[in-house]
Amino acid sequence: MNSEKVLFSFFMILALTLNFGFFIGEMDDPLHHNVYELFAVIVVNLIATVLKFGDRSRLGPMLLATSLVALVQLISAAIVWTFAIHVQQTGLTPSVMVTIVSLSGGAVLANIISVILLMIETTMLRR
Amino acid sequence: MMSNEEPDKQETSEEAINPVVSMIMLRMRTPLIILISVYAITILGLLLIPGVDDQGNPWRMSIFHALYYVSFTATTIGFGEIPYALNDAQRLWVLCTIYMTVIAWLFAIGNILALVQNPIFKKALNENRFKNQVSKIHEPFYLVCGLGETGYEVVKALTNEHYRVVVIERDQESMLDANIHDLQEFVPYLIADSSVPRYLQLAGISRDNCEGVIAATADDETNLKIAISSKLLHPEGKVACRSDLRAFEENMRSFNTDHVVNPFHTFADIFSMLLHSPSLHLIFDWLTGAPESQITDEPLKLDYGRWILCSYGRFGHALYQKFLEHDIETTILEPDEAVYESFKQNNMDQAKDMILGTGIDEKSLKKAGVESAVGIIAGGNDDSNNLSTIMTARQMNPEIFVVARQNLRHNSELFRRSKADLVMQPREITARMIRVLFLNPLLNEYLSMAKKQDEEWSNIVISRLSAVVGDCKPHVWTAEINTKKAPAVINATTLGRTVNLNHLTQDPVSRDHKLKCVALLLARKGDCQLMPDDSAILQSGDKILFCGMREAMNSMNWTLKVISSLNYVMSYENEPESYLWRKLKQTYKGKERREIHR
Repeated sequence: MNSEKVLFSFFMILALTLNFGFFIGEMDDPLHHNVYELFAVIVVNLIATVLKFGDRSRLGPMLLATSLVALVQLISAAIVWTFAIHVQQTGLTPSVMVTIVSLSGGAVLANIISVILLMIETTMLRR
Repeated sequence: MMSNEEPDKQETSEEAINPVVSMIMLRMRTPLIILISVYAITILGLLLIPGVDDQGNPWRMSIFHALYYVSFTATTIGFGEIPYALNDAQRLWVLCTIYMTVIAWLFAIGNILALVQNPIFKKALNENRFKNQVSKIHEPFYLVCGLGETGYEVVKALTNEHYRVVVIERDQESMLDANIHDLQEFVPYLIADSSVPRYLQLAGISRDNCEGVIAATADDETNLKIAISSKLLHPEGKVACRSDLRAFEENMRSFNTDHVVNPFHTFADIFSMLLHSPSLHLIFDWLTGAPESQITDEPLKLDYGRWILCSYGRFGHALYQKFLEHDIETTILEPDEAVYESFKQNNMDQAKDMILGTGIDEKSLKKAGVESAVGIIAGGNDDSNNLSTIMTARQMNPEIFVVARQNLRHNSELFRRSKADLVMQPREITARMIRVLFLNPLLNEYLSMAKKQDEEWSNIVISRLSAVVGDCKPHVWTAEINTKKAPAVINATTLGRTVNLNHLTQDPVSRDHKLKCVALLLARKGDCQLMPDDSAILQSGDKILFCGMREAMNSMNWTLKVISSLNYVMSYENEPESYLWRKLKQTYKGKERREIHR
């Protein structure tokens, strides 16, 4: 039971699942997408990215790349949300919501790739 | 896949992730995760705790406001309780926030500082920097291992001729002593043990543009290891090794090390030259660039007689062999009983030659008969003893010829004041020989041929050289007649013209004047001519060794490379170089011919 491996996999899968949870639902309906969930998604994605730092295996750089992609998308989504509510005071119109959800959809894909790479690496280790 | 496991396959140095960056990222993981978690928790707390706005209505912070609040609290900026004053519940949480976040930041920064101070990190950083500097060198370069006095002299000589050099030195102190930043070219260096092949690889030994490796460390074993590594990692490169002990020297020669320099044998050869032809010795010293040697000096004259040799170490041993060869009577003073006994056992015929004594006091020198000796050699490995021998001997016999061995460069002034006739520095000799080997290999050829000549010949050479160069420092160079180094000459010879040595030595600016240089050797395949005549005809593939002023070399380069200079010197008219002019010339010539016919 390698606790480091457990932690690593745990955070990656948590990132994917939370992200998917946020993403799913009507694209333009703010009731289907909870802001606290977005908050949790960003935090967990950050932690998962940091855990991938300094990985010297062959797939290490790829994993880090996918995590960074996901982060970029999620932080963009958060910025759009903040802009809509606090800066421009337009509130959560359907078009803003759609933007936010599509960005988080991109992050879901990146996280899926991450998890697939994780699975590949795990199976490769078995001889 | 966790960061601390080694990768399954061995990655080549080009593919490997930059070790410095990877180290930093590894170290930063824990602090970053702590920071993120602390931020998340405190923001969450601020979100959940209900507050009131200025009208008393319930109000909750949004994520954005909470993030803003925590940011300026964690970085200790502290703008204040905005947008509305906090109630006590919120303040309680903010109290926790302050302590958690500030400590998290301090922890992160402290971690980075510790990493930067970490010697392993510093080493990785230095190696990285070194590797980058070496990879930027695209011209031919030499790798010098060991930056003691020998190494530094070699590096200086090479960089003065604008060759690139890369240095590996084990000792930080020596690196600081040697002033590597004052040289003519930028020299990348690494503080590492040069017997480890990995560092040789980092220094670019396997690259195509590595011309040669010079093993100049103080330890023979290391030099041997470097020679072996070079021959295996880079068989095409030249290797020059310094060796003090015969056993190592033979070992090095056995696997084709190109040049092994043993300073003691070299000096013994030099001394032998002095015994048999002082003028030749002067030429040798001056051409190879011995410091403070002038061609206008008087050659050192040695009287025939008995010599005293102090200390029978490697130096004494090598010199004794030369004395035996030249049939010169010798008395050896050796303080060590064991050496005395073994000498007596091994050399039955010359047993009387060795006397037990130290050579630094009057009594032992008297016993050796210093008053009647014609010369004395202070050859120990301690400078104070040698100086003492010199001074005592001079007191007892002011006319005696003194040869001294100087071990440390910083005693130069003392040896100069002691008025020894000949001072030998092993490190300086090694550096000199290596310099000649790499910069002017033809000079070795010349000197070995010159050794077979007599005193008369040497004197003539001296007078020719002093007429041309005088008191200035000589510059020795090789002119190669091939398409790369002398395209004009090759061009001329293919056109059927005869180019001889005379043309090269004329000033391309004004052909009635001769350049200040003397041709020492003309080397053709299988045949070498000493002091060639001006009328010698040059062929493709020839190499000519010149000695003279540096300006002469620069001027000669014009004659060698630029066809119009060569034409001028040979008094030929210039062929027009552009198409248009050639066409015009043809029509002009045609018109002329038609007029003559009329």
